[in-house]
Amino acid sequence: MSKPDISTSAGSLQLSNPFLLASGILDENGYTMRRILDEGAAAVVTKSIGMEERSGYKPPIVSVDDPIVINAVGLPNPGILNVGNEIKIAKKSGKPVVGSIFGKDVNEFVHLAGKMEEYGTDAIELNLSCPHVKGFGSEIGGDSSLVKEIVENVKGSVKIPVWSKLSPNVTSLIDIARAASDSDAIVLINTVRGMKIDIHSGRPVLTNRLGGLSGPSIKPVGIRCVYEVKSSIDIPVIGVGGIESAADAIEYIMAGASAVQIGTALWKHGRGIFSKVSNELEEFMAAEGYTKIEDFRGLALT
Amino acid sequence: MIYSPRILRNEINTPTVNSLYFKLDIPVEPGQFVMVWVPGKSEIPMSLSMIGEEKCLTVKKYGDTSNVLAATKPGERIFLRGPYGKGFTRVDGKILLVGGGSGMASLRPMFNENAHGLIAARSQDELLFKELFGSDKLTVATDDGTSGIKGNIVEGMKVLDLESFRMIYVCGPERMLKSIVDYVSDKKINMELSLERSMKCGIGLCDSCSVDGLQVCRDGPTFNLEEVKKMEEFGRTRLSESGKRVWFQ
Repeated sequence: MSKPDISTSAGSLQLSNPFLLASGILDENGYTMRRILDEGAAAVVTKSIGMEERSGYKPPIVSVDDPIVINAVGLPNPGILNVGNEIKIAKKSGKPVVGSIFGKDVNEFVHLAGKMEEYGTDAIELNLSCPHVKGFGSEIGGDSSLVKEIVENVKGSVKIPVWSKLSPNVTSLIDIARAASDSDAIVLINTVRGMKIDIHSGRPVLTNRLGGLSGPSIKPVGIRCVYEVKSSIDIPVIGVGGIESAADAIEYIMAGASAVQIGTALWKHGRGIFSKVSNELEEFMAAEGYTKIEDFRGLALT
Repeated sequence: MIYSPRILRNEINTPTVNSLYFKLDIPVEPGQFVMVWVPGKSEIPMSLSMIGEEKCLTVKKYGDTSNVLAATKPGERIFLRGPYGKGFTRVDGKILLVGGGSGMASLRPMFNENAHGLIAARSQDELLFKELFGSDKLTVATDDGTSGIKGNIVEGMKVLDLESFRMIYVCGPERMLKSIVDYVSDKKINMELSLERSMKCGIGLCDSCSVDGLQVCRDGPTFNLEEVKKMEEFGRTRLSESGKRVWFQ
């Protein structure tokens, strides 16, 4: 039997396998993004980039209590004017680079998306969901009329695909997803708001006190969100949250995801996770008799 | 998991360096590091200068967080997580430990009776852990000439038969490492270098410490000479706190 075909697409973006690097993880240095692509990721999503240079929060920016990982990095980024060279370095891999952006209003998002397109990114990911920076992310991502306005305006200003990354920290995910349904794909989910207190110092561990929970703890939340959105809206979805193995990814794909993103798992598995999950996926498909991803995508929805 | 051992004693090593001793029963390899949290201040990566049941953090006072940490009194707690990273490779036979600035702190666990030391500092009162080595097994270089050879660490290397050592272990600031790598590039030697880059997460996620796509916190902090020679970014560029590319001066 021939090898199963693990290529897929997210909207119009063709991907050699379903595994992308999630935004915020190992994706501010062009050399790092390039290495991750060379080592097997189908595409990378850059760290979220805003209008101005930001240092982010002072460490601790992460609290790790296996398997619980909570972060509040604070959107550090060099500013949109300083990111072109990193994207150029990453693009030498020949694989897609997706530019993640965050802004405080429609104009900023439109400007940032235009610059990303100019830098040669293959798609835009709108960060409408960072859970731990005031005035950005979730505060915007929880307002469905603002989400609709941002998505429509960015879509109207660039030719490359536009993805919307949404938060699970909202009252009605479906309302927000509908507001974002002009996007070429919806990315679900960003981290879940959380907190860690050290009991010997009596202090919150993270400098920002509150953070975002990621890793295996949030996988069931992510799968539920993908399933809910795919059940009611006909739009490509990219799943993210707690994926460490092909089995985790297959759950997301069976819930309807076209591709998935991996982030926190880099902590335990290192950059080698991308080739590991691709191999596991081929083994699963061969064992189950699937020849392509479409054979089992959305299986749980029917 | 954050460990919070109590300090047994605080020893002054030089005007700018203190060592904090504590008991903590976790296995650590020489060259690995921990992330040390000072509540209310920040969290900084530090290597351990002793790794047995009694452990030691050797603190160079260079900022707010390290100043508070260095002032920890016996009985008070410190907070740390780890150990992280890849340690040094151990070999039998003659070894050379090369420490610039506070670099000897992370090399101290490699000390044994076959070790020769090369210590470089600005001035004689900043030479860290020189008392470990007998006078016939110690080479010193100071910028101001107050002790040993007047000059930088490379001047110190020039008086040593580098090829006679089974392994040379180096720790110090990246600019110093770069000058060493340039100096030894045509020599037949075995060398491992511990890289110092600013770190935020310590666990291979944040990309702050990356060099050529390798994470110093996870793939390093120790690298062998051949790996370092291949790095385009080494000694040339790094990313600042924000992720903006900056050049070494």
